[in-house]
Amino acid sequence: MNIRVLLLLGALALSSGAAGCQDKPTRWDTAATSTVARAPDAPPVKEAGSFNKFFPADGIDGMKRVYTQEKTGFAEAKLQKDGKDVAVLSISDASGDAEALKKFEGATDKIQGYPLVTVGKNQSSLLVKGRYQVKVSSQQLDEGARKPWLEKFNLSGLAGL
Amino acid sequence: MSHQPIHKILEELPASNLTTRLLGALDYVVPGQWENVTSWETMIKRVTGEDDQALIQRVGDRAIELYNDPEQGYQRAIQIFHLVDSTQGMAGAAEMANKLSESFDFLSFLGRITPKADTTQGIDAAVKFVAEMATFCYTNGLPGDSVGDFLSSLMAYEKEDSIRFAAWVTFDLVLPLGPDFLAKTLDVLSSATHAELGENSRFARIAKYLPGADLAEKAGLLSSTLAVSSGHITSFVAEKGLDQQDIFQRIKGYVEVGDNALDYVSAAIDMSTNYFEHTGIQSVSRRLISRAYGEI
Repeated sequence: MNIRVLLLLGALALSSGAAGCQDKPTRWDTAATSTVARAPDAPPVKEAGSFNKFFPADGIDGMKRVYTQEKTGFAEAKLQKDGKDVAVLSISDASGDAEALKKFEGATDKIQGYPLVTVGKNQSSLLVKGRYQVKVSSQQLDEGARKPWLEKFNLSGLAGL
Repeated sequence: MSHQPIHKILEELPASNLTTRLLGALDYVVPGQWENVTSWETMIKRVTGEDDQALIQRVGDRAIELYNDPEQGYQRAIQIFHLVDSTQGMAGAAEMANKLSESFDFLSFLGRITPKADTTQGIDAAVKFVAEMATFCYTNGLPGDSVGDFLSSLMAYEKEDSIRFAAWVTFDLVLPLGPDFLAKTLDVLSSATHAELGENSRFARIAKYLPGADLAEKAGLLSSTLAVSSGHITSFVAEKGLDQQDIFQRIKGYVEVGDNALDYVSAAIDMSTNYFEHTGIQSVSRRLISRAYGEI
C-alpha cells in the first residue's frame, strides 16, 4: 500500500469520525429515549398468546392465514392468496394507552356496536370492550373490502376475555 | 440508555458495500424480495404504504419505543445478529478499501485468508441457522413448539428474511460444501466433540443466548434444528437450481481470488461481509414497524 492510499484512508477515517461526533437533530430524537407510555392504574396488558384464537379461521375465501408475531399484548397474522400477501390482521391490547384510545372518540361507524375508525388510508381499526384494537391493514384492500374481515374475527369471544 | 436506538442502527447501514452487492447478486434466487432500505422513514412507508407524515411519525416513534424496552426481545435479536456475523481481522481493512473502488481486489489480502476446514464450516453454518431460529423467536415471539413453528414460518419467509436465508444456503452451504452440503454438515455435527464445539468462536459468541441448560443441549439444538428443516433446505436448493459452479461464476466478479479457489472465495465472503447482521437489522426494523402500526 503506497503512501497516497494510506493518506486517503486516514482522511476517510477522520471525516467519518468527525461526522459521528456531531449528530444532527432528527424527528425521532424524542422517541429515542422513551418507552411506550401506559396509565399506571390501567389493567395489565394481556399475555402473549391470548389473542390467537379470536382470529378469522385459516382458508376463508381461499386465504391462507399465517401467524407472524405473538408478543405481550399483541398478536399478528397475515393473509396470503397464491403465496402473495393480501392483508395484515392484528389484535392489540390498548389498556391504559390514552393515545391509541383517543381516536375512537366520536366514531360514528360501528361493527356489532363497537366503534370503527379508519387510520391513514390503509387501515381499519375496531375497538372491542374499550381496550382491544382489532385491525385490518392492507395496501391492496380498500375500506369496503377490509370491513368484512373485521367481522370475521370472533369479536364476542374477544369481548369476553 | 446504553443501547443505540433502532432507527439509528438501521440508518447506519451502508447504502452500498461488498455485502449489499453480493446480496444484490442473489436477486435471481429470490427475485424482487430484497431492497436495501437504510432509511427509517422509507421502511415505514414500505411496511404501511402510508404517506401522511403525522401518521408516519406516530408509527416510527412507537416502533422506536418498543425497541427501547429490553423485555421485548428485539435488542437481544439485534445482538445475536451482530455477534454471529461479527467479522474481524481483515474486515475493517476490506471495508475501507471497498469504499475506494467498486470491486474489491482480494488478491492483496489473500495471504490473510485461510480456507476453513469442513468441520469449522459445518459448525459455522449450523450456528448461523440456530441463530436464525433464536432471533426469530426473540423478534416475533416464542410459540409453543418453537422448532416446528419456526419451520412453518421459514417456509413463509419474505423480504429481508428470504434474502438472508438465500444467502445462508448459498454462501454458507452450497458454495463451500458443494452438492452434499447437508449430509456433510449433519455429519460434522454428529461427530463433533463438545470440545470442538466449545472451541468454535462463532458458537462460543452466541451460546449463552441459545436455549438449553448446558453445552450438550445447545449442541443438540444445532443438529435437531437443521435436521427438522433439512427437507425445506434441500427443496429450496433444488427449486432454485442452486449449483456450486454456477454461484461461483455469478459472484467471482465481486470477489477476485483467482480461478477454482472455491474455498478461498467462501472464506473471503465469510471474513469480509456481514449479510446476517445487515439483513437482520432490516428484519427487526420491519417487524417493529408492523407491530407499531397495529398498536397505535
